[in-house]
Amino acid sequence: MALFLSRIRRRIQSPTHHLLSHGAALASLLEPTGGLPTTAVATLLCGEPARLFSSSSTAAVAAVPMTADGLTVDSIGSKGWTILPEAESDWRSHAAAVAQSVKVIKKRLKVRYSHDISCWGSIIERAKQMALVLERPDLWDDPVFAGRVSREHGELMGRIKSVNQFEQELIEHIEMLRLAREENDNALETESMRALADMRRSAKEKELHALLSGDNDSYSCFIEVQAGAGGTESMDWAAMVMNMYRSWAQRRGYTVTVVEEMPGEQAGIKRATIKVDGEYAFGYAKAEVGVHRLVRISPFDSAKRRHTSFAAVAVIPILGDGSTRYQIKESDLRIERFRSGGPGGQHANTTESAVRIVHIPTGITATCQNERSQHMNRASAMAVLQCRLDQLEIARQAHINAEHTQSLNEISWGNQIRSYVLHPYRMVKDLRTNYEVSDPDSVLEGDIDDFILNFLSSSLDEADVSA
Amino acid sequence: MGPLSSPSSAAAESKIKAKQPWRCSPSRPAPSPHPSSSVRTAARTACASPPSPSPPPPSPRSRRRCPATTPPPRGTQTRTRPPLFLRPATHPVPASALAAFRRRAAALVPASAPHLHRHLRWLLADASTTSDSDPALFRAPLDHIESLWLGHVRARRPFQYVVGNEHWRDLVVAVKEGVLIPRPETEAVVDMVKGVEGFGGGWWADLGTGSGAIAVAVARELGDGGKVFATDVSDVAVEIARFNVERYGVQDKVEIRQGSWFEPLQDVKGKLMGVISNPPYIPTEDLPGLQPEVGWHEPKLALDGGRDGLEHLLHLCEGLSSALKSGGFFVFERDLTSNICASIWQTNGNKQSEFLVDLISSKWSSSFRDVKAVLDFADIKRFVTGYHR
Repeated sequence: MALFLSRIRRRIQSPTHHLLSHGAALASLLEPTGGLPTTAVATLLCGEPARLFSSSSTAAVAAVPMTADGLTVDSIGSKGWTILPEAESDWRSHAAAVAQSVKVIKKRLKVRYSHDISCWGSIIERAKQMALVLERPDLWDDPVFAGRVSREHGELMGRIKSVNQFEQELIEHIEMLRLAREENDNALETESMRALADMRRSAKEKELHALLSGDNDSYSCFIEVQAGAGGTESMDWAAMVMNMYRSWAQRRGYTVTVVEEMPGEQAGIKRATIKVDGEYAFGYAKAEVGVHRLVRISPFDSAKRRHTSFAAVAVIPILGDGSTRYQIKESDLRIERFRSGGPGGQHANTTESAVRIVHIPTGITATCQNERSQHMNRASAMAVLQCRLDQLEIARQAHINAEHTQSLNEISWGNQIRSYVLHPYRMVKDLRTNYEVSDPDSVLEGDIDDFILNFLSSSLDEADVSA
Repeated sequence: MGPLSSPSSAAAESKIKAKQPWRCSPSRPAPSPHPSSSVRTAARTACASPPSPSPPPPSPRSRRRCPATTPPPRGTQTRTRPPLFLRPATHPVPASALAAFRRRAAALVPASAPHLHRHLRWLLADASTTSDSDPALFRAPLDHIESLWLGHVRARRPFQYVVGNEHWRDLVVAVKEGVLIPRPETEAVVDMVKGVEGFGGGWWADLGTGSGAIAVAVARELGDGGKVFATDVSDVAVEIARFNVERYGVQDKVEIRQGSWFEPLQDVKGKLMGVISNPPYIPTEDLPGLQPEVGWHEPKLALDGGRDGLEHLLHLCEGLSSALKSGGFFVFERDLTSNICASIWQTNGNKQSEFLVDLISSKWSSSFRDVKAVLDFADIKRFVTGYHR
C-alpha cells in the first residue's frame, strides 16, 4: 500500500506536459460517448495512467469503469448518476457532480475564448498558436500588442492547466477509492471520499471562476452610484445602494476607498464613486450596471406614502498600466482646484484640497476630494479620468463587444435591472434573470453574490446560444 | 564631496540636538514685545518664540483655551512629545464614549462649515488606529482630544498643529507651533524644480526650510550626487525639519544647517544648481488682519516680510548671484496683494509680481536671464523663477 501511495504522490508531481494529452483524452470522455463501446472508453481513460503507473496496477485500473453496481465511466459525464446532496457520502454522486462541473467550465471557457471554435482541443490549439506568436523576435516592437498577447496566453494556459489538473485529480481519487475498497483499507477509503467531496466543492467555485474570464474581469474597478430624480428619498436610496456595494466588497476581501462623494442636502448622496481594489472586482461588479429601483414607504414623507425611487450604477475597470489604451495630452486638461478667493499662500490656512479635472475634448470630468493634499487628489482624479477615457476607448473600439459596460451618462433610466420592494411585500428581484429573494435586508447589507452569479451565468448561456 | 563633508558648526550642533527631536527649546525667549520691529532683529532674538500676542485676540476666554498662545500648558505638556498622529495608541475608548464625543464635537460646528466636519473626521482618524475594534485605541485620552477639538474650533488653532501634521504632496509632514504650515500653493515649487535640466545630480538650497517639506520632497526626487542644503534660523524649524528628513529617510540627501538665509552656505557658494525659497512675504502692516489661524498661531518669523513684504525677497535676490553656479535656477514664492499694492495698482493685483520680475531683470540684468512670474493654481502670480547667466 505504501508503495502505491508513493507512486500516486510521484504522479501528482509529474510535469504538466503529460497533462495536455491526458486532458484531451478525458475531454472526449466527458462528452456523451454515443455508441462508443464501453471498452473503448475505458482504454481512452486508462491509456495514460497505465503508462505512468507500474504494469502491476494497470490491470487494476482497467477495472475502474465497471463498478460493482454495474455503472460505467461514461455515465460520469452524461449524468448517468444521480447527483445527491453533498452530505451524502456517495462517491459516484461526487464524481458525477465534478464531471458535470468540468463540462460546464469547459463550455464557459469555450464561449469566452473561442467564439468560432467548437471544441476544447481547439482552445489548446489556440494557446499553442499564441505561444508561437510570443516567440516571434519582433514581438516587442509593439509592446501594447505583445503585452496583450502574453497576458492572454498566460491566462489561457493557466486555465487549461487548472482544468487538466482537476480532471487528473478526479481520476486519481476514483482510482484510489477503488483500490482502497479492493484492499479493504477503511482509512484510505474515508480519506478518498473526503477528497472527492472537497473536489466537488471546489469544482463549484471553479465553475464560478470560469464565468470571469473576460478581458478586463480580473481588474479592480470603480463603482459609481447616482441618485435618480426624486430628491431626498432617492438620494437616500443612492446612499443605501452605495452601502450595499461597500459591504459587499468588504465581504469579498476587497479594499474600498471613497474617491468622490456629493452628499445630498438632507440625507444620502447625489453621486459617489468608490474604488474597489482586488482580483476580479470588475468581473463581478460589472453585473451590477444599470438602474436599481426601490419601493418603500419613505421615511422622509410625513404623509407616509409609498415612493418609488431609482439609483443608477456604473462600473469602470481599472486597466493595468501595460494596457492603458487612451493617451491623455496634458494640454487637453483643465485642472480646477479649490480657490479660497483672497490672496492664498502664507495669508491663508486651508485644508480644502478637492481637485476636478476636465478633459476638454470629451468633456469628461473626474473629481477627487478624498485625499488630504491637492497633489494626491490630483493623482487620484487623474486615475479616475484615465479609466473613464479608457472605458470610452474600449467602447469605441468594440461597441458590439459584450464586455462594454455603460458609463453613468449612457445609462438610461429605463434600463432597470433590479427591483427592491420593502412595501407592501418584501422582495428583491433581478429583472434580467428573474432570480429573486424575499429578504431585502441581507441583500442591502451586501449579500448580492447570488444575483451576480446568476446574471453572469445566464449572460454566458445567452452568448453560447447566439454563438 | 569636498567642503561638504565637514558640516558647519551650526549644522553639527543641530545634529546633536536632533537626537531628542521633540525636545522643547530650553532657551525659548519670551514673546517679543515689538513684533513689528525689524524682522531681521526678530529673527535673531525671538526665533523660536510662539506667536506673539500682538494682534488682539478675540476674547480672553478663547485665548486661555488655546495652547499655542498660553505658555503654561505647553511647558507641562511636552518635554519629548511626538506629534499626536505618531504617538502610540494606548488609550482604549469604548464605542459608546466615542459616539458621545462625536455628537458633542459635531454639535459645536454648524452645518455651514463642512471643513470643520471634515477636520473632526480627520482628527479621529489621526488620533486612533484604523481598526474597527471596540474599544478603539487612541493616541491620547479622549478628554485630551476633546480639548484639542475645542482649541481648534474656539481658539482657531490650526488643524495641522492639532494633529501635528500637514498632508503635502505625497508627504505627511510633521508640524508644530513655531514652524510655518506648508501651503498647498507651494506644492508646485517641487514640480518646477524637477523640470530643470540636470536637476537630479545637482546641489540645491532650500532657504528658510521651516518644516523641511520642500527639502524632503525635492530630495526624494533627486538622483545620485544630488543634495539639498536646507537652512533655517529658527531652532524649532531646524528640529522639525530634521525630524521630517529622518522620517522619510533622506538624511544622505538633505543637510540641515542653522542660520539666516545664505549665511550657513559660505562653503558651497557658486556651486549651487538651484536656490528655492518661500520666505516671509506678508507686509508687516497686513499682519493684524490675517485669518486667526494664521495671525494668532503661526510664527511671525515665517510670515513677516517687512515693508511691502519684500524685505527678505530683496535680500535673497542680492545673495543669489554669488550662491548660484553659472546656469543655476532659482524659484521664490512671493505674494502680491499687500494693502499698498492694492491701493497703487487697484486694477491689477498681480502687477506687483512684475515689480519683482522687472527689478531682477533690470537691476541684475547682467546676472539673470528668463526671469518670469509663474502662476499658481488659482492663477495668481505666486512665483518668480529665473536662471543665473
